[in-house]
Order: sequence, then C-alpha cells, then structure tokens
Amino acid sequence: MIGAGVAGLTAALRLARAGLNVTLLTKGVGGLQLSQGTVDVLGYSPTDPATRVANPLAAVAELAVADPKHPYAVIGVDAVRTGLAFLHEELGEQLLVGDPETNQLFPTAVGAIRPTCLAQPSMLAGICMDGARFAIVGLRRLKDFHAELIAGNLARTPLPDGGHVSARHLTIDVPARPREVDSSGLTYARAFDDPEFRARFAAELRPELRPEETVGLPAVLGLKDPTAWSHLADLLDHPVFEIPLPPPSVPGMRLNNALMAAARAAGVRVINGSFVDTPVHSGGRLVSVNVETAGAPRTITGDVFVLATGGFESGALTLDSYGEVTERVLGLPLAGLDAAPLLHGDYWGGEQPLFRVGVAVDPSMRVTSPDGSAVPDNLWAAGGILAGAVRWTEKSGEGIAVGSAVKAADAIVEELA
Amino acid sequence: MRKLAVDVVVIGGGSTGVGVVRDVAMRGYSAVLLERADLAQGTSGRFHGLLHSGGRYVVSDPGSATECAEENVIVTRIHADAVEPTGGYFVTAPGDDPEFADKFLAGAAATGVPAREISVAEALRNEPRLNPGILRAVEVQDGTVDGWQMTWGAARSAMEYGAKVLTYHKVTKIDRADGRVSAVHCVDLKDGEDVRIECTFVLNCAGPWAGQVAAMADCHPVDVIPGRGIMIAMNHRLVNRVINRLIYPADGDILVPVHTVSIIGTTDVKVENPDDLAIEPVEVQEMLDAGEILIPGFRKSRALHAWAGARPLIKDSRVSSSDTRHMSRGMAVIDHHERDGLDGMLTIGGGKLTTYRLMAEHIVDEMCRKLGETRACRTASEIVPGSENQKNYVVTHRLHDREEDRLEDQIICECELMSRQMFVKAWDDQPQATFDDIRRQLRLGMGPCQGGFCSMRATGVALETKHIDIERATGLLRLFLKNRWIGLWPILYGDQVRQTALDNWIFNGTLDIDHLPAPEEEVKL
Amino acid sequence: MNTPQSSPPPRRSPEQLSGDPAVSDSLDFAGHEFARASLDHCVKCTICETVCPVSAVTPLFSGPKFVGPQAERFRNGESVDHSLDYCSSCGACTLACPQGVQIAELNSQARAVMKADHMPVRDRLISQTTLMGTMMTPVAPLANAVLANKPIRTVVEKVFGVHRDAPMPPAQTQTIQGWLKKRGPRKTPATRGPIVFFHGCAGGYFEVETSKRSIEVLEHLGYEVLVPKQGCCGLAQQSNGLFDQATDAVLKLCDDLRAAGELTIVSSSGSCTGMLKHEAHEIMGVDDERLKDVATRIRDMMEFLLEVADAGELPELSPIEMTVPYHAPCQLKSQGMGMPALDVLRLIPGLTVVESGATCCGIAGTYGLKKEKYEIAQAVGKPLFEMVRDTNPDLALCDTETCRWQIRKGSGVPTEHPVFLIHQALGLS
Repeated sequence: MIGAGVAGLTAALRLARAGLNVTLLTKGVGGLQLSQGTVDVLGYSPTDPATRVANPLAAVAELAVADPKHPYAVIGVDAVRTGLAFLHEELGEQLLVGDPETNQLFPTAVGAIRPTCLAQPSMLAGICMDGARFAIVGLRRLKDFHAELIAGNLARTPLPDGGHVSARHLTIDVPARPREVDSSGLTYARAFDDPEFRARFAAELRPELRPEETVGLPAVLGLKDPTAWSHLADLLDHPVFEIPLPPPSVPGMRLNNALMAAARAAGVRVINGSFVDTPVHSGGRLVSVNVETAGAPRTITGDVFVLATGGFESGALTLDSYGEVTERVLGLPLAGLDAAPLLHGDYWGGEQPLFRVGVAVDPSMRVTSPDGSAVPDNLWAAGGILAGAVRWTEKSGEGIAVGSAVKAADAIVEELA
Repeated sequence: MRKLAVDVVVIGGGSTGVGVVRDVAMRGYSAVLLERADLAQGTSGRFHGLLHSGGRYVVSDPGSATECAEENVIVTRIHADAVEPTGGYFVTAPGDDPEFADKFLAGAAATGVPAREISVAEALRNEPRLNPGILRAVEVQDGTVDGWQMTWGAARSAMEYGAKVLTYHKVTKIDRADGRVSAVHCVDLKDGEDVRIECTFVLNCAGPWAGQVAAMADCHPVDVIPGRGIMIAMNHRLVNRVINRLIYPADGDILVPVHTVSIIGTTDVKVENPDDLAIEPVEVQEMLDAGEILIPGFRKSRALHAWAGARPLIKDSRVSSSDTRHMSRGMAVIDHHERDGLDGMLTIGGGKLTTYRLMAEHIVDEMCRKLGETRACRTASEIVPGSENQKNYVVTHRLHDREEDRLEDQIICECELMSRQMFVKAWDDQPQATFDDIRRQLRLGMGPCQGGFCSMRATGVALETKHIDIERATGLLRLFLKNRWIGLWPILYGDQVRQTALDNWIFNGTLDIDHLPAPEEEVKL
Repeated sequence: MNTPQSSPPPRRSPEQLSGDPAVSDSLDFAGHEFARASLDHCVKCTICETVCPVSAVTPLFSGPKFVGPQAERFRNGESVDHSLDYCSSCGACTLACPQGVQIAELNSQARAVMKADHMPVRDRLISQTTLMGTMMTPVAPLANAVLANKPIRTVVEKVFGVHRDAPMPPAQTQTIQGWLKKRGPRKTPATRGPIVFFHGCAGGYFEVETSKRSIEVLEHLGYEVLVPKQGCCGLAQQSNGLFDQATDAVLKLCDDLRAAGELTIVSSSGSCTGMLKHEAHEIMGVDDERLKDVATRIRDMMEFLLEVADAGELPELSPIEMTVPYHAPCQLKSQGMGMPALDVLRLIPGLTVVESGATCCGIAGTYGLKKEKYEIAQAVGKPLFEMVRDTNPDLALCDTETCRWQIRKGSGVPTEHPVFLIHQALGLS
C-alpha cells in the first residue's frame, strides 16, 4: 500500500481485516489530517458546480451515464455504499454520523453553507435550517476563525428552500495557555481535552449567550476526548457545534489518528519517512519498490501493490516547468491530459482541467493504460490519484477514496484467494 | 463636484511622479498628485527590484551609468529603509565572451562606476549556487530596492511639505485657457465624485500612460513605446547579491535578491497598450532558461509569481522603435509650449527607478525656469520619513521583529511574517484599501502560499476594524484571490502546483468559498 | 511598513564566516545549502506543527514550520531567532512532512550558525560522551552516588546548566570491552560468518547489559560477532551545534568500524545508528566515502532481526505472557524504516505490545538535561510516562539509551531495550 491518506488507510485496513499481510509505505502524515473531517460523497454536480446535490448516492448512481469519465462512473454506487459502511463501522458513531442518502448543509469558517452527508457528531447542531439561531463565538487568540465574517455571511445566505438562519457573532478571550496570543486550533483542542479548561471556558461564555441560541465554535473542541464537545454543551446548557478550520484541522486529525491506530492494531506494518521509488518490473508485474530508508534504500516486495498516493496536492502527480505531467512513483500513463488548455487565467472562471488528470482504472480499480503503453498487472489504484474529478469543488474526496479503496481491496482479496 | 486650487498638479503616482511632487513641494509650491490606482501600482512596482550600480550601462549607455552610480548612493541614503545594499556581481557565463569583461572594466573606470574584478573562486565561495563554470566575475555596488516602499517614503515626505497625494483619482480632462493649462479634472474612483483642480502648471509623469495624458490636453501625440518586461519571483534567495551577466544588456540576464525572494528578469517586447501586459509562456521559458545559466538547477527551484511591467520609453529616432531596450534610458522632458502651443505643462519620459530623483529634479528645474523662478532642489540631501535612523534594510529584520513580539501579537501572513498589528495599522490608515494595496506595503500574500492561509485571516481582521461591511469584505477576498491567480498560473509548476492544490482544498474544499452569496457586482478597487 | 528594527545583530558576511578560524566548512554548508533547498517544498500545511512535542507543551518554541522553512527564507547566513534553540532536534517534523522538507535539519543548521557566536560551556561538556563514560566507569558506585546527590547536582546545575533532576546514566562497574575480555569462549559454534557489532558510547559504558544481550542473540543466531574498538559518533556534539568536533568524531568512528572488514554492522544504539545512517550527512553535510560505506552497511538491531525474521531464519520464540509498552524513539523513527521492534516483538507468542503513540520522550539526546529545557522535556514526556505506568509498571521497552533513562526516571518503570525480550524468548535468559 503506497500512501496513507483516507484511501490508503481504508484499503490497508480492509486488506488486513481480510487477513492479508499489508505493508503501508508513506512519506509523512497523510492528507486526511488536512481535511475538514467530514466524509463527503458528492456536494455539487460534477457537471454543474452551481447545483447542490440533495441525495449523494442517487447522484453518484447517475454519474455512470452523466459523466462517464468521472471516477464514480467506474467505482459505482454499490462500492461507495460498501466503503462508507466499512468506514462508518471502523470509526464508530463517536466520530461519524449521518446518512449517505442525504446531504445536510453545514456552516464553513467563512460563513458559506456546505453540503456533506457524514459529519462528526460535534458538528450536527450546526445544520442550517430555516429559523435556526446561531451565536458564532470567536476566540480572540485563534486567528483562523473570524466570528463576524462567519455570522455575517451566514445571515445573508438564503437556504435552498428560501429560508434563513439568524446568526450573531461574539468573541471571547480565554487563553489556551498562558503567555500566548497566537494559539493554533490544535493548541486549543489540547486545552479542551482538559475538563478544567472546559469549565473555565464555559464560565466565561455562558453569561454571553441568549436563550434558544445554538453555539457555533471553531472545530477545536478536544482532540483525544471524544466527549469534550458534549460536555461543553452540558456546561453551557446550549447546543454546541464545531465549524472546521483550515489546517491544522482538528476534526481531520481525529479521523486520521483513529484510522492509523486501527490499521496498526490490525497488523499493518507501517513504514513512514521515505519517498517510494525504483519500481522493479518482471513479466508484466511490479515486483518491488524501494523506500529511501536512512543510510541505504530498502527493497519492499509484494504480490500486489496499491497506489493511493493522492493527486497534485500530495505531489503524487507533478507538473514540471516544461509542462510535463508525471505520476511520481511509477511513472504511469495518465488520463485527462488531452484537455486544452490545462490551466486558464480566470480564478473565478470555472475549473482548471489540470486537476482532473490522473490514473485510469478498470471497474476493479486495477490500473489501466489510457494510451496503450504497458502498466503492471498487479497494480491497483484508489483515491485522489484517479482521473476525472475536481474533488474540492464537487466535495467528493472521501467518497471517491473509500469507494475505490474498498473496491480495490475486495478485488485483491479475490485475486489472491 | 469637489474643487481644489494649487500651483502644480502632478499626474502619475509612480516613482517619478512621487519624486516630482516631493521636489515641487520641497521647493515651496502647493501641489496635488493624481494617481488612477495605488502608488507604484504600475511600472514602479513591476520591476525586478534592482537599484543599479550603473554597471549595466557602462558599455551600452555611459551617461546613464554615471547617473546611476551617483543616484545609487543618494537613494541608499535618503531611502535607507527601502534599500538593501546587497552588492552585485557581473559574471561571464560559459559561452559568453570573456573579453567583454575588459570593455566592462574600462567602461566602469570611464564612467565612475565602482567595479573590481574578483577571482571566480571568491565569487563561488560567496555565492555557492552560482554556475561553477563561470569564467570571470566583477564586483559592483548593486543594491535592491522595494519600489513601493521607496515611493511611499517619497510620498510621505511630499505630504509633510503640504502636498496632497490622491490615489484612485483618474484624470479625465485637462482644461486650457488662452494657451495655458488652467485646470485638471479627475474622478475619485472610490466614490465616483468629480474633482476639478485649478492650477498654473501640470507635470505629466504618467510613464507609459504619458501619451494618454497628453492627449487629454489636446496635445500632439507623444510617442511612448511601452516595452513589456516579465519578471518571476523565486521562493527564496538563491543568491544574496545581484547577479548580472557580463554581456551587452540582453533578456534574462539578471537575478535580484529582494526581501525573501529572488527575481529573475527580464524580457523586452514592444506592446501597444500598457494596460494589457500578457505573460507569454515563451517568455517564461526564456527566463527559466536564463536562470538555469546563472544557477544550475534553477528550474527545479520554486517559482512563486510572475508579473509584467511596461517601460516608459519615449520614442527616440536614433534606434528602431521595435528595439526598446536600446532606446535611450536617459530621460526626456517634452515642452508642450514648443510642440503644442500649450504653456504650463511638461511631460517626462524614459529614465529608470534608480534615477527617479534626478528625473524629478530635471523636470522641476525646467518648470522653475519656465516660471522664471530660482528655487533650489533639496531632495538629494533630505532623508524621507521612515529612514531617519539611516539603517538599511536587512532580510532578517522581520524575523527579528517577530522574535521580539511573537508572544504579544499574531502573525497573519506567516510566509512574509506580517503581524496583525501591522495589518490593522495599515487598514486604519487606508480604510478604503484593497488587500492588494496592503500587499504592496506589507507583502501580504506574497510568500509561498500566495494567500492560501492569510487571505481569510486578512478578511476577518479587516471586517473587525469596522471600516468595511461584510459584502465588501467578502468582495475584497474574491478580488485578492483573483489577482493572485493572475500572477500564479503562468508559472504554475513544481511545488507551486502542490501549493495551489492545497489552497484549493482549503478555499473550495473546506471553506466552500465559491458558494458564498454571489456579489451583485464584483469589487474592483 | 518594512521598517528595519532598531538594532539587528551584526551581519556576518560569508568572507567573515570563512575567515573565522572557529567556523568550518561544515558551518559554511550549514549557512547555505542542502536542507535550505528543501524549504521550497513547504506548502505551509502545518502537519509538522501537529507532531512537534515541544511546541505542544510550551509557547516559547514557535514550532517547526516557523523556525524551519518559514524563518529560513529570512536568514542570510545568520540566525536572529534565538527561540529556535528550544527545538529538541527530535526529527518528528521531518518524518511527518509529506513534502520532503528537511525541517529538523534546517533548525539544527540554523542553531549551529547561531551558536558559532556563543556556546555555553555546558553544551560543550554534555556532548563529550566518551569522556563522561571513561571518567565514570572505574568509580561507578561513587559516580552514581555523586549523581544521586542533590547538593552536588545543584552545584552542577549552577556551574554547567545541567538540571539537578535531569536523568543521568547509571554508571556500571564493567564496560562492554571489559566484559568481552573477561568472558569465556562462546558456547555455540559460529555458523553464519562474521558481523560487526557497534555498541555506541552508552552501550559501552552505561547500557552494557543491552550490548551483552545483543551480542548473545547474534551469536545464538550463528554469527561470529566482531566488536572492534570504537569511539564516539559525535551525535551529542552535533545536536549541540558543535559540527567540527562531531565531524571529526563520526569519521574516526567510521574508520574504527571499517577496520573490521566489509561486513554488516549491527547496532543496539538507535540514535548513534541514526547519526551514521543519515544525520552526519544531512545535518552537517559530511560527504565522505567512509561515512557512505558505513551508512549503507549498518542496521539497527531490531531492523536486522526483522530482516532475519522476514527471511524465515529466526528460530522459534518461546511464549512470554505479558503486556508491555513499547516506545519507538524519535531518532529511530526518523530513520524511515518503520518500527521494526514492534514487528519483531509481535512474533513472540503471548506477548502483547502496546505502542506508545508518543512522538518523543522529551530527552532528545541531551536536550532534557539542560536547566532551561528540563521542565519542557518533562512535560513532553508526561503522557508517555503515564502510558507506560498504566500499561505495565514492571517493564517498558525502548530502543535508545537516553530515552530509557528518561522513561525510567520519569515513570519509575524499569525500561529496557526490546532485545531483552528476544533474548528471553530465545531461551538465553
């Protein structure tokens, strides 16, 4: 398994659960930690990003016809459903709640309303419904959460059914630790793990709240203690919800930590710290890759390999100064390069086709060659490396990842059986 | 309509115009400067940051070389805080004619430009990333200068002498009466109000736009040949000195360490319209190839941003108009009395940022002569506000400042170490600003993440200053991201692609910024 | 505005740097190259911040992203941000960085440049590992008594800046070389040819038992174990910014190890192995064929055992019914080989190994010994100490020496090298 994002961890875990001997190779911490900590399946139509999706799984099912180059068209709705169920089971209700058939709208840290179907329980009270009364509470020492911006935009955003939420803002100053005015979300999350801090915080905030208000806070309500947010809600005697921040994303860390711990506990051998290179092929198969372990490279052999390295954001795909796009680990042929131009100069003028470039796969997630050049027989791919989606725009990252991961893992189990 | 009356109206808020209004004000005239955008938003902010030693011109343009050498010393002193005296090398790259160095040294001696040949080993020891194949190296006194900061320093000085500096005021018409300039009309672009300024003199310092301004006074066409040059900022200082090719001036022959970045420049292509400066892929490739000659591995290092500027060259019959580099760098003052029968207006063109003060001195001298007055120029001896302590810029200064105040203040732009207090103060001073205006002064969003992490913070903090409402705040954020992208996508490769993808994950993925309420009209300024 | 601050430290031109006899080539390197180029890969994603054990417990350290790729763009052969000295050099940031930024290396180099101007006597003394060992061994009971003596430690703290409560190695009555000389001939014949054993200073003078058991395990596997005379790897000097001395030391050690022949080198000293494998090269820029040769051949003890196990050549292990906490030291993790101890220990029937999940124990070599860092080091280690106590109050496992001292002292739980349990499972103890 090459890659430790949501796709790599999910696939490794599923393979290990099936009794296979899995080595996971990763350069550093995976991208899940940078995410907003929800499991998005499809928020906006891939063909029309202005259109919100109400039922993600239904919309995924339609993509097979509507957008045949989209990864979901190959993954299929059943694998997505299976993948979500698997992830849901592994993470448990303490980390993930919701219904993949229904998107809900959650406030973001600029006050937009964002659709997703599986969220953390600490976010649920923030679902935007007509008549909701939010008090958005900023922390003076946390610079990535501006309550006035969030409340201002939420209040002027019409809901799809024409309704509105009301939102006011306030900012309080409770230091996460002494002598620090520039605390990260993680610093606050560590503080919120401490019941005493929660009590102190609640004592400061509670008098500021008005009856019937739901309290929106930055997503920093505890990293290790999954009850921190609900404890705080009890102390405040108001419903509380978290709004995800840019990295360091505490909800993303929660998911990442949980999946990594589960993978290790399931017996996955994790080798962190080196880029993977030097693939060795034999008889149309990939035999081994190297990891640049300190001192000298070590050769890692395997019966099958899964490429779950992500997209351009992780460096799995690179664009060099001559305009050449390359898949970094194995130099695989890529799909989506025929779009011209790959980039354009209007930031608000629609998608940049470059970000649809990726690896092509068959319905079992085995890597295929879009241009007829050779690819190894024993190579599968999952997640952001797959061609065909601008995941951040359509909000499909986790759905594609877990759907393809589980599909690849199940196909491998069958292959090796 | 607002009405004003002054002695002199200066048109153009680049380094020349600001230098002129400072000089005029220091000589005791009442003056207004009109700039249609922000100060130094045009050519003066779109160059490579080089404060010439004169070395570049010792062979091709000896007169300019001497002027540069003299003004370099003056600017380094009066704008101490905007200038870093980095020093510079001229190096003979593999394949370049090694004998040019002899011409160079002779030219330097003749023009009074300090220059000293050093051994290749010394050059490589001091700049270890330089191409080890260089054949000769000459040390000169190049420096680097922040054009925005220098221009603002001169503007503050002018204001201390009573001048008004009106940015975002676009000139619409110049009145003439009885063969003389009588008033200048402009519109305040922020609130749409018309302004009429009665005056006795107009100094047209609009650089590449000088022809357009002259036309407003019904003058015969002033042939300005805008020469477009592109520049690329690389993520960090690949060198700590200015590195020039030791050849007759050509494209892509200079690498300048400015602030935290190094800037490779530049191309030179004749363009018709200075408001439409494309960054052509072929020119980007040309710059990267040129960088590779100076610094092996240049293409693998990270490019952050590209931009294009327009040289303000006045047509000169001595050379073909398509070859703008070899037109005279020397300044030209056009007297509209002789050619257009209009008194009370002068136009200045040509020149370069290093000699901005001298250009101002020349045109103001000419104005005084026209007015029959003798008032001496004092701009060379007086230090501008902000440089009183005479300390030159050092690249470590913000790191040092944040080391001091890190536990008392937040860092809003982490790449360029801009603190919250710096931002709030700038915002309080200019409540109508855009984030790009602040960027030019504080380097907001100019580092590797190109606004990925700081622009949402800036939006939030700006809103909290209470100078703007939620619509404008959100509109400013949209505008900033749009403008950043203009300079990003032409050089989007390598590490910057990864940065862009991460930034997209943040803005679109996590924040869903593209689904905020659509503005009725985009904020433009 | 970009106003220069009132009084920046004097700028040192490269000429000054290279003209200063106290400043070496490796420092020039530190000022300019290598890790610096990697800062281009930073996309500010903050992953490094989330794993930093020091910034987790104190705001005095501005964190790896700040002092690493961010601050480096503002450095020009000098270090004005003295708070970077709070970095413990644990390397967790470099390991966690998905982009390949050499964050810890940048910090170490900036610190070396900074310390070129002013080096506390303490930083010179602590880093003399061999000296400390040779001075203490013959008089171990006395040394231990002295080190346990509060008033004396208070004086030590005042004079040298070593915290009075800082963990100190238990001096032994016998060095590993002494043991090798005195023990009889090996019991089983060597069937697999020779290998070289590198015990490191601590393994030679303080953690002698670890070295003994490692040798016995290797001999049990059939190897002829050669233990050449060996000096210090210079790691402590390196982490204190003394690049010149460290470079001399590591190259001399390479000569020592190479003298035994072109054989696999196995070491039970995880951090010294890291110095040989990559730190000397990546942090100090030592570019020497002798170092490359040793780096290629050396294996951590548990890494070596995992290779033996993966080849199907590890004898059957007897069951050990036990739950034991295991802490993978930061300097081991940074070698990019995963956690081989975890994978080998899993092969012992009945044994449940609980990985600590902690980034660092806090000691980070000599960091936690220093007066101004002691509290931070203890705070860093606190969750680990609690985890260790909660998991098994009688035994914890950890691969490096100073970390074991820190865990023993912080948790009160006896802490040994993982080879102890392999030794036991092979029936050797």
